[in-house]
Amino acid sequence: MRSGSDGGSRAPGRALVAYYMVDRARIGRYVPLARAARRVGATHLELGFPFSDPIADGPILQEAADRALRHGTHWADLLSAIRETRSILPTIVMSYANPLWTRGLERSLADLRDAGASGLIVPDLSLEEAGPWRLAADRARLDLVLLASPGSRLARIRALARASRGFLYLVSRYGTTGGGAISRPSDLAPLVRTAHAAAPGLPVYIGFGIRDRASAASALASGADGVIVASALEHALARAPSTATIARVLRPIASAVRAVGV
Amino acid sequence: MHSRYGPYGGAFVPETLVPALQELEGTWRTARRDPKFRAELARYSRSLGGRPTPLYRAERLSRRAGGAEIWLKREDLVHGGAHKFNNALGQGLLARRMGKPRLIAETGAGQHGVATAMVGAALGLRTEIYMGEVDMERQRPNVLRMRLLGAEVHPVSTGQRTLKDAINAALRDWIAHVRTTHYLLGSAVGPHPFPAIVADFQSVIGNEILREARRRWGRPPDLAVACVGGGSNAIGTFRPLLRTKTELLGVEAGGPRGHPTGAASLARGRPGILHGTYSYVLQDRDGEIRDTASISAGLDYAGVGPEHAFLKDSGRARYVAVHDDEALRAFRWLAEDEGILPALEPSHAIFAAVREARRRPASQRIVVTLSGRGDKDLEVVGRAIRI
Repeated sequence: MRSGSDGGSRAPGRALVAYYMVDRARIGRYVPLARAARRVGATHLELGFPFSDPIADGPILQEAADRALRHGTHWADLLSAIRETRSILPTIVMSYANPLWTRGLERSLADLRDAGASGLIVPDLSLEEAGPWRLAADRARLDLVLLASPGSRLARIRALARASRGFLYLVSRYGTTGGGAISRPSDLAPLVRTAHAAAPGLPVYIGFGIRDRASAASALASGADGVIVASALEHALARAPSTATIARVLRPIASAVRAVGV
Repeated sequence: MHSRYGPYGGAFVPETLVPALQELEGTWRTARRDPKFRAELARYSRSLGGRPTPLYRAERLSRRAGGAEIWLKREDLVHGGAHKFNNALGQGLLARRMGKPRLIAETGAGQHGVATAMVGAALGLRTEIYMGEVDMERQRPNVLRMRLLGAEVHPVSTGQRTLKDAINAALRDWIAHVRTTHYLLGSAVGPHPFPAIVADFQSVIGNEILREARRRWGRPPDLAVACVGGGSNAIGTFRPLLRTKTELLGVEAGGPRGHPTGAASLARGRPGILHGTYSYVLQDRDGEIRDTASISAGLDYAGVGPEHAFLKDSGRARYVAVHDDEALRAFRWLAEDEGILPALEPSHAIFAAVREARRRPASQRIVVTLSGRGDKDLEVVGRAIRI
């Protein structure tokens, strides 16, 4: 899904990114999970590597990460999960900076690409620090997705959009992942418009707090090209880990995505 | 005042925090050149904080060591009982200047929480403190002090329930309320510009040491010793001495004997990214942050300020680790020899200073920063030595 290369992310239609935490206890079950997501309309998977100190995450993803680490989840488990899902849906990895840095940036990114990941999201990587990461990602032929926030000034949105690859991840509001209302479409729309103008062809996906049809429709009303669903999915899966759960959570969101059309 | 110290430092943070960090840096750069801000800082430091603090010649402790003279920089006499006031005051004034009506802070030992609560009360800013449940239990007197000073204390029940987890909780609060809230970070850690700002406000310690040393002895001390958790009292002591010939010794918590790391990030960690900064970190092979252990809540942290990482690599400062039982011995020495109950954090530095004094001639002078007083630790110490 490198922008300009295979262009998989902007067309046709809008994107729906489904997030799963990588957990050793789930290895071998990613194939049915990914198929279930694709069946109801997911266009990408995002696999989260658990980190001990996830400062951008709310309680649901914190607990999911704690659980995964208690289960003894390691880097190799992330790579096997990618290998399971890559042929079903384009797979993007989410990891905090330290696990990638500590292993050696070049080596981590090569590992991810070799396993079949198409992109990488690093929630604690600011534009100021992204320089060496962008170079390494380009060399590994991996899309480094940058995040923008409602607090970002328009000049900064332009810089972020130009530097981001694959898509621009627009955080829906002030806050961590999960719960809480997202910003109004009228507040998000100028940010989306600015990003589109600065980087034509680069889609903008909105995440944080997308949990049902209404929140997805509201996010898409800003002109965004897709939504990312994480906490809502993890929360439901933690209680009832089945493909039926995935369908139940994603179907209403997918219908909001389809309603917007191309 | 760069964002990097050699390769260390930087700002690894979610985008939502970037505008606030930029605003903070701008406000601080303007304020520190503004005579009105400096006068206000000096006035509060003197008449609310009790600065300057004296150097005290620890004669009986020096005799016990047998060797160099040991002098104490009495930060335990600062208002609230620790050096934490210096930074809390400075950042509190910056928050008021930025028009942010609410302060949040993390605290380990509770000293930074108390300092922030005092400053919040004095400046009329709403104050909320995040503290790990384990630390609330072992530093109970400080929890009560914070509450009496009008601060709300939020128990943190995630992770290891100590300082690291309190910082996580405070960062998450800040991400959600960044427009109206200043995160008053208490140590020389975290994303740029925090390490630079905290070191700036704590440099009053080293500046006063240097001034008094020149007056008394006509030259700087031979050795300066300070304990290092995140490293704020140490960087405040070291910075003004960097251009002198004074040797610098930082003392980390070695934890209980037999523990693989204690909380000694510089001695036993590797470079990594924690809480927005690149520095030495106690971590496993996958880059997950390891559990730490120390009898001292204020030193019990898996990371360390980036400037210390740079000083270690460059060789300008040395860092050693001191075990729990050694810190307890030093606590008792200072109490029985000098009539001072030190906090457990600087007790680590006292132990290392005595060891250094033994190896040095009587003509040398060692200054130890006594960063806080020990009232908060009486319960822990009493239990450990069974009084």
